[in-house]
Amino acid sequence: MSTPATITPIFPTFEQVCQGFGSQIGMLREMAPKPTHSAEVRVARAIDTLIAETNADEAVWLESCIHCGQCTTACHFFQATGETKYAPMRKMELYRRIYQREIGPFRWWYQLITSPIKLQDLEDLQELVYDSCSECGRCTMVCPMGIDTASLVHHLRSALVAAELVPPELSALREEQRHRGTVFGASSDTLLQMVKTISEHYGVEIPVDKASAEVMVLSSAVDLVANGNGLLATAKVMNHLGVDWTVCTDGFESANFGLLSGDMTLWRRQVEPIVAAAQRIGAKTLVIAECGHAYPALRWNPMLKSEDLPFDMVFMSEYMGRMAKEGRLRLSPLKGKITFHDPCKTGRRGGAFDEPRAVLKAMDADLVELPANREYNWCCGGGAGIFLLERATRLRDESFKIKLNQVNATGASMVVVSCASCRLNFEVGRVKNHWDKEVASLVELVADHLIEPPAAATAGAHA
Amino acid sequence: MNLLEFARGPVIHWALIILVAGTIWRLLGVLILTRGADLSRPRDAFGNFKGYRTVFSRAWPSGEFTVATRYQTIMAYFFHFATLIVVIGITPHIEFITSLTGYSWPALPNAVGVAVGTIALVSLIALIGRRLSMPKIYCSNIGDYVTWVLVATPLITGLLAFAHLGARYETMLAIHILSVAALFVWFPFSKLMHSFWFIFSRAQSGLSYAHKGVRI
Repeated sequence: MSTPATITPIFPTFEQVCQGFGSQIGMLREMAPKPTHSAEVRVARAIDTLIAETNADEAVWLESCIHCGQCTTACHFFQATGETKYAPMRKMELYRRIYQREIGPFRWWYQLITSPIKLQDLEDLQELVYDSCSECGRCTMVCPMGIDTASLVHHLRSALVAAELVPPELSALREEQRHRGTVFGASSDTLLQMVKTISEHYGVEIPVDKASAEVMVLSSAVDLVANGNGLLATAKVMNHLGVDWTVCTDGFESANFGLLSGDMTLWRRQVEPIVAAAQRIGAKTLVIAECGHAYPALRWNPMLKSEDLPFDMVFMSEYMGRMAKEGRLRLSPLKGKITFHDPCKTGRRGGAFDEPRAVLKAMDADLVELPANREYNWCCGGGAGIFLLERATRLRDESFKIKLNQVNATGASMVVVSCASCRLNFEVGRVKNHWDKEVASLVELVADHLIEPPAAATAGAHA
Repeated sequence: MNLLEFARGPVIHWALIILVAGTIWRLLGVLILTRGADLSRPRDAFGNFKGYRTVFSRAWPSGEFTVATRYQTIMAYFFHFATLIVVIGITPHIEFITSLTGYSWPALPNAVGVAVGTIALVSLIALIGRRLSMPKIYCSNIGDYVTWVLVATPLITGLLAFAHLGARYETMLAIHILSVAALFVWFPFSKLMHSFWFIFSRAQSGLSYAHKGVRI
């Protein structure tokens, strides 16, 4: 086996990945389906969806808001624009009206004093729950009532799926995943092709469809159609660890456009083949690729009784962190001062805080925490599918400046992220702002710093 | 029956009935709804219990938000505590509560009552001042203003009656009681219900984040 140092890289740099992605996203807008139902039907379906999804939790949160305005201090979209319509509390106003008219204890009264919901109300809502809310949950950290606005926004996304009001980019990807089971055309053939390329060019083996394996690893469309380095790095790390691992062609996609769009049925349907594959091969651990929302889609999927499953679901950074804590990752030191960005889906909304830091510690990294970190981390502005929305470009760019200032305050020369969405957003922000920082993915960073003992490298690859 | 007797009699009693019945109706109407189940495995087997501490910990904003929330938090604390002290601490209120429940306790000196009532009113004015001066942040609706007026009026009329200012004492007292009645009637239908919701709302979020191993 040749050493990586002698191999010419064939995969694009992440800056090129970003540019390529931009044109792919442009095509999505043209592919988006048009609404097929009448306005009345769409409104009725949205209301029915909210009624079905509103339990006591949601009702209490909707009842609790006192308009104290504190959530505005926590929201990057409000802070970046100063526009009152982006105040988190405003995002649930329509939900509250529907709740008061349909479910609340004084519904007979609210049906008299409030006007019925119109399609226009739902159309206006689209910008509030897709473009300007990454469901990052930071507003919950300041709300004196502790209202979980992010979950309410998720229900509103569900309602807009029912009203055929998903923004075009998300809608096109949802349709693709729903009807063809792929994202950006990343099929099992794409996976096999990528595995072949990595094996032939880099001499790094990726075990595919093993009958049984301890660890099942997921990939993601971003890695398969654009950023080959992501899958390559994952393979190098897994081989280095010498674990019994595999990738399954019938359950490899981390991205879940059911969760992102708000389509609960698709969310569930996308998870099923992954769970089935992991059970079939007797996996003990399911490793989720560096794709932020895949973590809540699988690990925190409220519809999946994971207590009964024979395997653990962990995020890539979490898995590497556990291995680092066990001393199984042998890494060369990382030079220079760095900082780490907690993706909202794995951090505040996921709880995987310590593990990525353990990985960085194993690299002996000079980690300077962001001024607001862990539970209080500012979202980069690209989460929950916002990165894909052209219309949200201004909101994204403006809110990214908060992140940029936070990173600058650390004096670090590199910011490490562990989420493809965050990374894409950071990369675009870096280029647009002519930013002198380097943006790195945790798994790729680890792969670049592996110390391979000559014997273990070969043994690991064939484990 | 003069105005004071009317206020002290049927008005305040009906207002109390609406307050209690309305509050129970609204609480039950929400709390009897089904609870959505989160079937995912918690990060720590018993970690979810830690979520309940959010009910208490959220009583003060995290250091992360100190600068942005300081004014409002301090004013709100002054308002809530001062109001509570006046409601349960001065002689006429204790007598009213005794007439309803039979319980009584020692009252604060009158001067202290006036001072604390003034603190409550001033902090309430400080809060509305901020609300009015920053419309973008507060997104106020009619309910916010009606609530403010209905909370401020008993404080103003109570202070005037207590200090024997304004109209004749009996008239002022009658107006004070009527304003309290209006507040009682408004209470179950307004955001004042946060005095109950905060416990449930904080606990729910605390639990759902604790489930994932996150302390909020």
